[in-house]
Amino acid sequence: MTLQRRYVIQAVGLAVLLLFTVFFFIPIVWLFLAPTKTDGQLLTQSPFALGSLHTLTQTFHRVITYSGHSVLIWLKNSAIYSFGGTALAVVAAIPAGYGLALTQFIGRRLLLSITLVVMIMPATALVLPLFLEINKLGLYGTIWSLILPFGFFPFGVYLAYIYFSSTIPKDLLAAARIDGAGEWAVFRYIALPLARPIVALVGFFAFVASWNNFFLPFVMTYDSSQYPLQVGLQQLIGSTASFNPANFSAGSSIVVLHRPDLAMAVIVAIAPVLIVFLFAQRALVSGMLAGATKE
Amino acid sequence: MATVTFDAATRIYPKSDRAAVDALDLEVEDGELLVLVGPSGCGKTTTLRMLAGLEHVDDGAIRIDGKDVVNLAPRDRDIAMVFQNYALYPHMNVAQNMGFALRMAGKSKAEIGERVRSAARILDIEDYLERKPGQLSGGQRQRVAMGRAIVREPRVFLMDEPLSNLDAKLRVATRAEIAALQRNLGVTTLYVTHDQVEAMTMGDRVAVMKDGLLQQCDTPRALYEDPINAFVAGFIGSPPMNLVEGVVEPGGVRLGSAVVPLGDGVPSLPGTAIIVGLRPESLWLASGDEGILATVSIVEELGAEAFVYAQLVDPNRVADGLNVKGNIIARVDPSTAPGNGDVIRLGVKEGSVLFFDAKTGDRLRRRGE
Repeated sequence: MTLQRRYVIQAVGLAVLLLFTVFFFIPIVWLFLAPTKTDGQLLTQSPFALGSLHTLTQTFHRVITYSGHSVLIWLKNSAIYSFGGTALAVVAAIPAGYGLALTQFIGRRLLLSITLVVMIMPATALVLPLFLEINKLGLYGTIWSLILPFGFFPFGVYLAYIYFSSTIPKDLLAAARIDGAGEWAVFRYIALPLARPIVALVGFFAFVASWNNFFLPFVMTYDSSQYPLQVGLQQLIGSTASFNPANFSAGSSIVVLHRPDLAMAVIVAIAPVLIVFLFAQRALVSGMLAGATKE
Repeated sequence: MATVTFDAATRIYPKSDRAAVDALDLEVEDGELLVLVGPSGCGKTTTLRMLAGLEHVDDGAIRIDGKDVVNLAPRDRDIAMVFQNYALYPHMNVAQNMGFALRMAGKSKAEIGERVRSAARILDIEDYLERKPGQLSGGQRQRVAMGRAIVREPRVFLMDEPLSNLDAKLRVATRAEIAALQRNLGVTTLYVTHDQVEAMTMGDRVAVMKDGLLQQCDTPRALYEDPINAFVAGFIGSPPMNLVEGVVEPGGVRLGSAVVPLGDGVPSLPGTAIIVGLRPESLWLASGDEGILATVSIVEELGAEAFVYAQLVDPNRVADGLNVKGNIIARVDPSTAPGNGDVIRLGVKEGSVLFFDAKTGDRLRRRGE
């Protein structure tokens, strides 16, 4: 292959990569620029034009104060549901993965297969039966209706299973057993401290799954004051004039939102996930197992 | 202090039709260092793990001080184990690693600290007590693993190839240290290795295993001089014993150009095949018409001695796998070592030859042997 031809192939490859990068970045850039513009500017100006800081603060103010600070209430609700759900998911998934990976009991393989099967089932498929169950238990409309379902997190169990079965040397647990540790102590003092990366990972995924969940809270909540942010966003769309022109004829008393306000609300909705990711990421990359056994 | 008894102890792994350890009968005396040795897959590590309680016992009994421990959990057996890969707890420092068993036993912080320091003093690792295993060298980790075992003052030590991850020089030094430490502490010890030199130098007695079966258990000297079969004879000794198959004739067994006289009373009929076992030091460089004709392949000069690897002229079949590429190995004085390609005559020292049944490998003994 001549040098020239190699350059051409490289250039074409680069161009393709660049194209895809641009394609996927445009919506994100647009989203972050939108709240700096007014609704009119959003339509008339270039998609990448930067508005003003003044407009941005106005947009932010409008979103936050919408309907008696509803967005703040939804944020608080989302946080309660997500942290509660995440805590439950981690408490259930980590020991479950450990048990499946490193202990022996009757039915272990069957349980593992079931975990894999339910992992590929869409979560929304279970929402209706869950609703009926929660309703029967009298928990409909309580925060438990949105926290308890996250105790069932097969993906987390599977991640923990993979981690424990591939990174913790079995001899380490054998050594602890010989050192006098019972099964609980082996988990508590040896396996769990070494599982920090997977606790962080499972916690992160559980948090994102709960935070971004729409359908379950949509079904389980009946009042705006109970909404998490994702369901609240839908209400915001309903209050956006350009999406519902019929509702907002001149002189209507309903608070009117505009498209830049929606973009701002979306940014408010994804910011916590980014923050949680930053914390989880630190724990994910710790080389806890260095020096355990001689490789 | 304790005795350990394996009484027809058997382990058959699931989905296997052959026993990994087959009806093992073995007695480890109080304070003894018994070495289990054998090639990979012979069942030695399984035996150790059965005693530790990490492996199920399918049949038979294992007794510590006369009490059957087969149904006891590992933590209730009062044993300590040193693993091949050390298995140190990576998130704990050295002191916490060594004190973990005492912590599990509910000892006070003061007592744990005192016992850890005292064990660390014995092993000369006091300076590393605050370090994590990841910050230690291989040799230091090995010491910590030893320390974790001795700090408990258990009834029995189990050691699973504890030296195999060290470099050759450190291995020899540590070998002597462990043997001395064991003798000082007087704790009954079962030690597993695949290295027969390690077994011979460390063990009060050595148990040789093959295919899950105990072949012979005796003192290192007895194993060397009086092996029960061709496997033990070939396994013990470095370089290994020459095991050469020959055919019995009137007056002895033919090896290449020579006839080695059979001992008095060795049961053999003319025309049958028999394995002749010759230690390298049983052979000497003969002159004149004496000895077995052989062509030198290579000479290993080790300073104090030299090993001659030679092919028999008119060779008989050399027993499979036990010798280097069909060579017969002789230990000679380096000053008289022949050159590569020379044709030599190897004399056989009288009374030093062992005979084995060619089919079963069992030893054929002279009368009174």
